[in-house]
Amino acid sequence: MSATGSSVAGTTAGLDLPTRPGGRWKSWCAVGVVVIITAITLSPQWGIAFSLDAIARNWQNGAEKILQLLVPDWSFFPRTVPALVETLQMAVIATFVAAGVSLPLSLATARLTNPNGASRSIVRALLNVVRSIPDLLYAAILVAMVGVGALPGIIALVLFNVGIIVKMVSESIEANDPGALEAGRAAGGNQLQINRATALPDIMPSFINQTLYVLELNVRASSVLGLVGAGGLGLLIDAVRTFYRYDQLSLIILEILMVVMALDVLSNAVRRRLV
Amino acid sequence: MVVEHSFPTVTASPWSVSMRDVTVRYANGVVALKSVSLDIRPGEMVSVVGLSGSGKSSLIRSINGLVPITSGSLRVGGFQLETARAGELRRLRGEIGMIFQGFNLAKRTSVLNNVLVGRLAHTTTLRTLLGAYRASDRQIAFEALDRVGILSKVWDRASSLSGGQQQRVAIARALCQEPRLVLADEPVASLDPPTAHEVMGDLRRINQDLGITVVTNLHLIDLARSYGTRIIGLRAGEVVFDGPVDSASDSVFSEIYGRSVESADVLGL
Ligand SMILES: Nc1ncnc2c1ncn2[C@@H]1O[C@H](COP(=O)(O)OP(=O)(O)OP(=O)(O)O)[C@@H](O)[C@H]1O
Ligand SMILES: [Mg+2]
Repeated sequence: MSATGSSVAGTTAGLDLPTRPGGRWKSWCAVGVVVIITAITLSPQWGIAFSLDAIARNWQNGAEKILQLLVPDWSFFPRTVPALVETLQMAVIATFVAAGVSLPLSLATARLTNPNGASRSIVRALLNVVRSIPDLLYAAILVAMVGVGALPGIIALVLFNVGIIVKMVSESIEANDPGALEAGRAAGGNQLQINRATALPDIMPSFINQTLYVLELNVRASSVLGLVGAGGLGLLIDAVRTFYRYDQLSLIILEILMVVMALDVLSNAVRRRLV
Repeated sequence: MVVEHSFPTVTASPWSVSMRDVTVRYANGVVALKSVSLDIRPGEMVSVVGLSGSGKSSLIRSINGLVPITSGSLRVGGFQLETARAGELRRLRGEIGMIFQGFNLAKRTSVLNNVLVGRLAHTTTLRTLLGAYRASDRQIAFEALDRVGILSKVWDRASSLSGGQQQRVAIARALCQEPRLVLADEPVASLDPPTAHEVMGDLRRINQDLGITVVTNLHLIDLARSYGTRIIGLRAGEVVFDGPVDSASDSVFSEIYGRSVESADVLGL
């Protein structure tokens, strides 16, 4: 490209090539780490213990259960309705609360919308802690703290959701074009104004997408949370399971399936209007 | 009876820029401006020219503090940039409109919302968060759009407009600030030639009709000559030419560019 044209094609001898930052050993290190972790996972001493013969030994037992599951007990339906409604209420309330909390937190964790490194690190660290605890554990702890019922379930779902929404939305902020924010800064806006006026419109689709996804997760999760006493269908699942009523269990599973499918149709309709 | 005029009348006086030995060094050690001294008078229309990497963007961004200066003295309007605090810097920026090569619009929202970004410095944070701009601010936005001839697009999504229309929205956003100075960083580099002339014409009208000081980065020789009255030539971070457009001959440009003038250096048309 240079007008003097002193370099010879195919050689780097005449070129003033800057030294490569980091060097090549970095990628070799990454490969090495993956290999070591894989080896540890599969090794008999430290690896995970699993054996396929357990399935072979118990298959007869399993087949019987599956047969029961295939014939749902329809007469059980009226008794499931209140629990189903409670599950849906928990899912919807938790989703709304989580979405409201997540939006400002997402803006606070993305570099583009929060240039202040210190506050960003603090919020990020907190969210990493929140995200590392499983929802079922939250529910178990909260049931011990506030008692059996829907409230600990809702709080557990909110914590679980915030971790997901904030991570996904703040990643989508970082992937966005910083141009509009720069224009907001050049126009003399403060960071809150810039975020609201120039970043928010562009992250809205991703935010709504994540919220819809979380709503679907919540319907499924809130039916499990009841196992530890946190309200909803889970309480019922626990009851029929202890009495080995797999025909009733299959009705509940069917109901969850219907709700999840209905939500899928609904969220697809919303998404289509977004893009 | 006084007849109402549809144009916003300029009550604010245009700003001057005064640089003394301004040096800009980036964190990676690159020195983008080397001891630059220059004065831009109120109401001037100046083109800054130079090759890619010569420091044009760094120069223009230092004027509104988007790029901090490393040493020297920089006075814009009544503000001293090297000592300005965050709040002062925002007030300064509120008076300076900026236009970018890539338009820098929020693509998924309306043209009106984009133009209203120009009112941020004059709007409280609460109003911005609620999206409740004052009626008078919306009026200013409508007038700014009318001035660049795209008021009919006011409710459209920014992403649905053509490149030329998007740059007009960006100009309206700058006008909406009721600026005392407009900075344009390669405003037509992403546009086709006829549209480029229209947008440059808009900038010239901002300067001539409203009396606002305009500083434009350009790399095309004919655009620099036809729009504006003065040319500042940058080469490797230093001012190597500063004079009226008539004195900027082809030989002056080859001096600025450090090579002979090529056909790619003019837009044509
Ligand atoms: N944010 C930054 N950090 C580090 N170096 C930078 C930064 N911005 C610009 N530079 C460097 O500073 C020098 C001048 O860049 P500048 O963008 O001001 O030039 P320019 O004349 O606007 O070029 P172009 O026509 O390509 O836009 C270049 O060497 C560039 O690599
Ligand atoms: Mg540039």
